[in-house]
This record gives sequence, structure tokens and C-alpha cells, in this order.
Amino acid sequence: MSAERSQAEQERRRRVVQLGSAAAFLAIVVIAVLIVIGQSQTDGGDTSLEGADVVGQELAGIPQDELVLGDPGAPVTLVEFGDLQCPVCKGYAEEVIPDVIDSKVRSGAAKIEFRNFTIISEESVPAAAAAMAAGKQGRGWNFVELFYRNQGIERSGYVTDEFLTEIARGAGVPDIAKWKADRESRRVLSEVSAETAEAEQLGLGGTPSFAMEGPGTRGLEPLGTLGSAGEIEAAIEAALG
Amino acid sequence: MSLAEGRLRAIAVFVATLGIAVATYIAVAEADGGAPACFAGGGGCEAVAESSHSELAGINVAVLGILGYLLLLGAALLRGDGARLVGFALALVGFGYSVYLTWLELFVIDAICQWCVASAILMTVLFAVNAVRMLRYVGTPR
Repeated sequence: MSAERSQAEQERRRRVVQLGSAAAFLAIVVIAVLIVIGQSQTDGGDTSLEGADVVGQELAGIPQDELVLGDPGAPVTLVEFGDLQCPVCKGYAEEVIPDVIDSKVRSGAAKIEFRNFTIISEESVPAAAAAMAAGKQGRGWNFVELFYRNQGIERSGYVTDEFLTEIARGAGVPDIAKWKADRESRRVLSEVSAETAEAEQLGLGGTPSFAMEGPGTRGLEPLGTLGSAGEIEAAIEAALG
Repeated sequence: MSLAEGRLRAIAVFVATLGIAVATYIAVAEADGGAPACFAGGGGCEAVAESSHSELAGINVAVLGILGYLLLLGAALLRGDGARLVGFALALVGFGYSVYLTWLELFVIDAICQWCVASAILMTVLFAVNAVRMLRYVGTPR
């Protein structure tokens, strides 16, 4: 009787092992499929980013050097001091700056330089450094414009390494490893601090603020926050002398 | 002292129901582009909600969670070896995927969402309960 019971128990254990192994194998396959699907959507090309096409069209064919957009020989330089976390700057990037690019940058009358004025929170600093690092590979403006179009709520913690990498990939930064090394470098971080210090020195109080340099100005003249594309275009005309 | 099959099933029903509640809250909070409220602060929930990893093939991961917990609830409500086996396999998938999601939070997204952690803990409990149910009772009556 007890021999029968022990044989039945042995049989039961064998079945548990068989069924359990089959279930575990199936589960591992399902998990692997889920992970592969998840990985392919993040590696494959920034499907969650908004506005990549618009930014590409907006900047197509315009030369870029560091964070300067436009013909290096353009007589007027419009400097925008911005914070990538700033929602008003996002509004300018979407509604105002594209008109200025079309009317004044494409024509070669002016170039626009983006300088970082990191005033919102500490998260603004890695974002600024990432933009600067993208600029070292000729994709600075693509990074800035794409960042604005995918901007999160300020100080909410969305500026993660993953978010910045996604923006860099979406902006077409060719060498992501170099970009990562650059954005973490002491040199780039000190450049970010220097630009913020410069904005403060110019007496600028918020973002976005503008400054202009051209034949009709005395050096780099702070202009504060200009309200519309028309105002910026008029200021460029005046700076042409 | 070992837990009876009936009690294991009752625990699984309770935990799966909690899981449905947690996953539903995350899914509803993220439905209009928002994020669940992180009581601990720090913006971790927003960062995780905005991450591309919060969706799988266009479906919110929390919605997949609801589906998983519903299936686990079904397996807990049913008797027999079939339900034990399905419950174990589902719990193993849920547990394994939760481990992967927690790894993503810690090392890729660099942010922790307490609601996701709560779900991962519930999945771990469900895995333990279903594993005991499977090991002890396959081939035995009740």
C-alpha cells in the first residue's frame, strides 16, 4: 500500500517537474518576445518623439556650427538666451523663430545663436550641455528644436539620460557615444555656466531673452524679450545699419 | 503547516484584484498624457510615464498589466490542474516582465515610479502563491 503511494507520489513529482518546465519555457519565450518588441521600438527610431519631421524641414539646408544657425558670414547675429525647460521658449520655437529663420536666416541677412540661460532648475544644466554636445556634431539646432517640441513639465524630472538620448537620436546626432562623452565633459559644463553668467551680466531677467550684434549696434546689445517675429525682424533690420 | 489550496486561491484572488486596481489607476492617469501621482515626490512617476518604455507596440504597459491581472484572477478562481498550470505560467510571465520593467526604471529611465514598484511587488506575491499552488497540488485532488 505504502509502496503504491510512494510510486504515485514519485509519478506526481515527475509530472510537476515536466509541466513546470514546460510552463517556465513558455513564459521565458513570452517575456523575451515582450522585451524584443520594447527594445525595437526604442532602438528603431524615436517613434514617441513629436515634430521630428517639422524640425527637419525647418532647418534643412541651413549651415550649423556649434549652436549657431545660418551663414557664418551673415552681418547680423541674433542671440537667443533660452532654457530648454522653459515653456515660453517652446512657444517661441514653434511660433516665432521659424518665421525669423525663413525671412532672415535663409536669406543670409542674419544668423541665430542659441545660448543657454539655465534659470529654471538644475535639470536645465544637463539639457543645455546635451544641446551643446549635439552642436559639436552639427546637430545643435535640431536638438534644441526637437527638445522644445517634446518638452515635459518643468522640474518634473523628465530630463533623464534616456530622454536626452532619445532627442539626440531623433535630432540625427551621428556619434552618440561622443555626444555622451562631450555632454558630461567639464569643458562643456563650464561653457554652459559661462553662457548663463553672460546672460546675467547683460542684465537679462528671463527666458527667452534676445541680444543682437551687427553693423548698426555697439557690440552685443541686449534687447530683452521681443514679442513677435515682426519685432525680431525689425530689430535685425535696425542692426543691419 | 501548509496552506490549503482554497486559501492559496483566496490569496491569489485578493492580490490579483489589488493588481487590477493599481494597473487601472496607472492606465487612467496616463490616458490623457498625464502621470500617476507620486506621493514620494521627485517626479519619478512623470518621468516613467513619459518614457517610451511606458508603451509596448502602442499599448500602454499598464493596460497589459490589467489584462495580466485579469487572467491571473481567472486562474485563481478556477479549480484543477489546468488552472494551476496556467496560473503558474501567467505569474511567471508577469513576474519576469516586472523584473525587466524595474530594471528599466533603475538603469535606463533613471527614475522610479512607486505605482510600478507596487505592481511589481504584487506580481512577486502572485508568482510565489502560484508556484506553491503548482508545486504542491499538481496531480492531487481538489
